Amino acid sequence: MTDVKRRDVLRYSAAGAVTTATALYGVQALTGSEPAEGKPRRDPRDFDEDYRGKRIRGRHFGRGRDELHVNDRPLALTEVSTLFVPEDGSEPYVAVGYISAINHYDPVEIDDARTQDGLRRLGRRIVDRLNGLELSAEAGKGHFH
Amino acid sequence: MAVRKSIADMTSAEKTAFANALRQFKTTPVNGRSYNSYIDQHITYFARTSDNISHAHQSPSFFPWHREYLRLLEFDLQTVSGNPNLFLPYWDWTGSVSPFTADFCGAITNGSVSSGNFSPNWGWSVYRSSIATSFLQRRLGQNASRPTATTVNNVQSYSVYDQSPWNSTVSNSYRNRNEIELHNRVHNYVGGHMGTREAPNDPVFWLHHCNIDRLWWLWQQSRGIDTYQPRTGTTPGVIDNTERMRPFATGKTPSALRDITTLGYSYA
Repeated sequence: MTDVKRRDVLRYSAAGAVTTATALYGVQALTGSEPAEGKPRRDPRDFDEDYRGKRIRGRHFGRGRDELHVNDRPLALTEVSTLFVPEDGSEPYVAVGYISAINHYDPVEIDDARTQDGLRRLGRRIVDRLNGLELSAEAGKGHFH
Repeated sequence: MAVRKSIADMTSAEKTAFANALRQFKTTPVNGRSYNSYIDQHITYFARTSDNISHAHQSPSFFPWHREYLRLLEFDLQTVSGNPNLFLPYWDWTGSVSPFTADFCGAITNGSVSSGNFSPNWGWSVYRSSIATSFLQRRLGQNASRPTATTVNNVQSYSVYDQSPWNSTVSNSYRNRNEIELHNRVHNYVGGHMGTREAPNDPVFWLHHCNIDRLWWLWQQSRGIDTYQPRTGTTPGVIDNTERMRPFATGKTPSALRDITTLGYSYA
């Protein structure tokens, strides 16, 4: 709960940048379904797309505070620094990934020098794992690691 | 005394007895615990708790925490079934025998378990599901493949139990390599609820973790039974060898759980 409140504070404190952000990402803003007023700062990596019949939306608020919605239902994300051991036998490496209630043992690497578009890949992975079903309210409840 | 057998060596009657004991426990609390309280514990103790310790995963106590977790469930299943010899079976995923059969964990592996064992009609319900469904979900092979015997042997060859920084980044660590390369991978191989925070909704959770515990025991027999790290002191954020693991009783330390011959079970 405190997490959600903190995010709201961050959103509203960024409201001063709304005009600039809307101008810069006007096309994205127009296609979004949220009201224009009180619109949070936009990150160029933010996305709102249909994937396999589901709407996935991702917002970047800085590491550990990013947000992901599947069909408007929130998925709580937890950042974890972890060893990645590729199944193809290539060299293991340490990077930061996101896990959630749905991909709990399968961190998805988030943006760094090695990888980009991590939040979008996570969104698609979640839809794949849901296999046509929806997130429940339980999926929006976060916890720390 | 429970002799834990491989699923490959179980009779159909033993499989049915195990499934029926789980179903009975789902609706009949015993010893002050319910089946769903195990799911609650898994969710709660996956996270760092208020003591800022990660008890169950991504930390050295991954093995002993689950050893006690399984031991308690086995005891509760013995109580609810009235059969003191009832045992947790282990699923050696490198073998060819599958737990997903009609007489055991249920034969449906590609979506909703909507009929047969562990379906709602049979008497199973899902609890605190992060997927909006009343059916147990599985997606076998969608997210990962099964570990091979070669991968298992490679993991078993790590000689250091664990080391600083004691989390999921450690490369030279038997605990972390097992947790990521075997434990996580099989959760992802089964998919559906097994890939979620509330994974004990799927009965195969216990068969999988029983094999993880067996592999640790095999490792202990070759590397030493008393090999848990960190040994003593006050390593911040992790359970030391003589520190109690929550939510288990006082005295449930890694040290107290190191030797299965004192815990009332063995592996066949």
